[in-house]
Amino acid sequence: MYTWKGTLWLVISSLTFSLISYLLLTDKELSLLDQTEMMWMLAKVIISIGLLIVSIDASSIISNEFEKETAESLFLSPIKMKDFVSGKLLASLTLWLLIFIVSIPYILVTSAGTKLFFPFFYYVFLLGSLGVFGFIMLIFAISLLFRSSKNTLTTSLVVLLALFIPSLFSTTLKNNSFALALGKVNPVDNIFSSLDNVLVDYQTSLFHNGQFILPLALFCLITLMFLVYATKRFKQAGVVKNG
Amino acid sequence: MDDIKRLLMLGVLGSLLILSMAYAYAENQTINQPLTLRILSEKTLSGTAGDFATVKAQINNSGLQPLNDITTYISLVDESNKMPVDLEDWSAEKGLFIGTIDAGQALPLNWKIHFVKAGKYSLIIVAEITGQEIPQVSGIVHFTVNSKRNLNPGQVLPVALGTPIVVLFIMLLLNYKRNSSKSS
Repeated sequence: MYTWKGTLWLVISSLTFSLISYLLLTDKELSLLDQTEMMWMLAKVIISIGLLIVSIDASSIISNEFEKETAESLFLSPIKMKDFVSGKLLASLTLWLLIFIVSIPYILVTSAGTKLFFPFFYYVFLLGSLGVFGFIMLIFAISLLFRSSKNTLTTSLVVLLALFIPSLFSTTLKNNSFALALGKVNPVDNIFSSLDNVLVDYQTSLFHNGQFILPLALFCLITLMFLVYATKRFKQAGVVKNG
Repeated sequence: MDDIKRLLMLGVLGSLLILSMAYAYAENQTINQPLTLRILSEKTLSGTAGDFATVKAQINNSGLQPLNDITTYISLVDESNKMPVDLEDWSAEKGLFIGTIDAGQALPLNWKIHFVKAGKYSLIIVAEITGQEIPQVSGIVHFTVNSKRNLNPGQVLPVALGTPIVVLFIMLLLNYKRNSSKSS
């Protein structure tokens, strides 16, 4: 985060949040929307921006060690693979945390006059953190298998895009049994559905959102298992592949 | 010949009698239903988009027999678009089920609805009784949902302008500190 690139992501995200919230609250057509709909839209933008930026950043955080040939010297030091991965994980999570901190003034101004500031605040944090956590582990696993930031970035963005596509479907398309089943396991769908449940339907308790949070937790568990598998494969192949 | 004419006359009269009896029976079925529905909150139903309102109604069994298994629901029509409204976001409870309503009993029916979009609407309540082909319908209630503008440039402008500036300032400060620590 101390690099210019890390802080530039924050400037980009704050500019995006500014544009969205300004449009929502000043545009004559958009201002006809119910305030809860505006909050829902902004919440989706905050988490989507967070997922996109963290995915791009996490795609290169491990692969760069191989491309810049710093991995050999790094692994010569008495560092455990677990510490290496968890250190990188914390760095990526810090970026999400900072994006969330930048979004707080926008959450405040959009929820002004409603009693939904706290649910808005903690559900964006909770759902965003779970989603980001799962995606980082998935991207790290891909990184350890590919060892190339270009391949990791392309794969991560394709996965992210594929998971975002169902959220663009209309309500009629979503009622299809296949789309319903897909929605139950898709982490992005679960995040957006939970936000809808909290901000539009006022179902603010964790109990009412368990149906969305549990699949998200399961997604994190599956990606953790995938990361453990990728780490083992990485260890077997050695730091210098085919070496 | 006269006998044939008499028989024909009798046949025509008999047919007319049967037809009029069938018509009277059908009319009786539709008009003399013991169940009546009435919307009580017709005067208080208008509001602004985003508001919540309660549709209060009453179902009354004026017959001599109790009635079982009645499903009541609201139906909303957007009068501007001439289209029924999808109640997904308007009401969490679309239907209310009544197990038994005794003879002479009146029961209250309440629906909490959320005014989602501005416009002119008409609302009716429908009751379906198991085993009966024709549902019972209340009278139509017309109401208006006024638009709500959430314009607040006074609050959003400082945030929309200030936050990127603060973040940019922090970025430049960190960059400056990093460069100065490198040079020293």
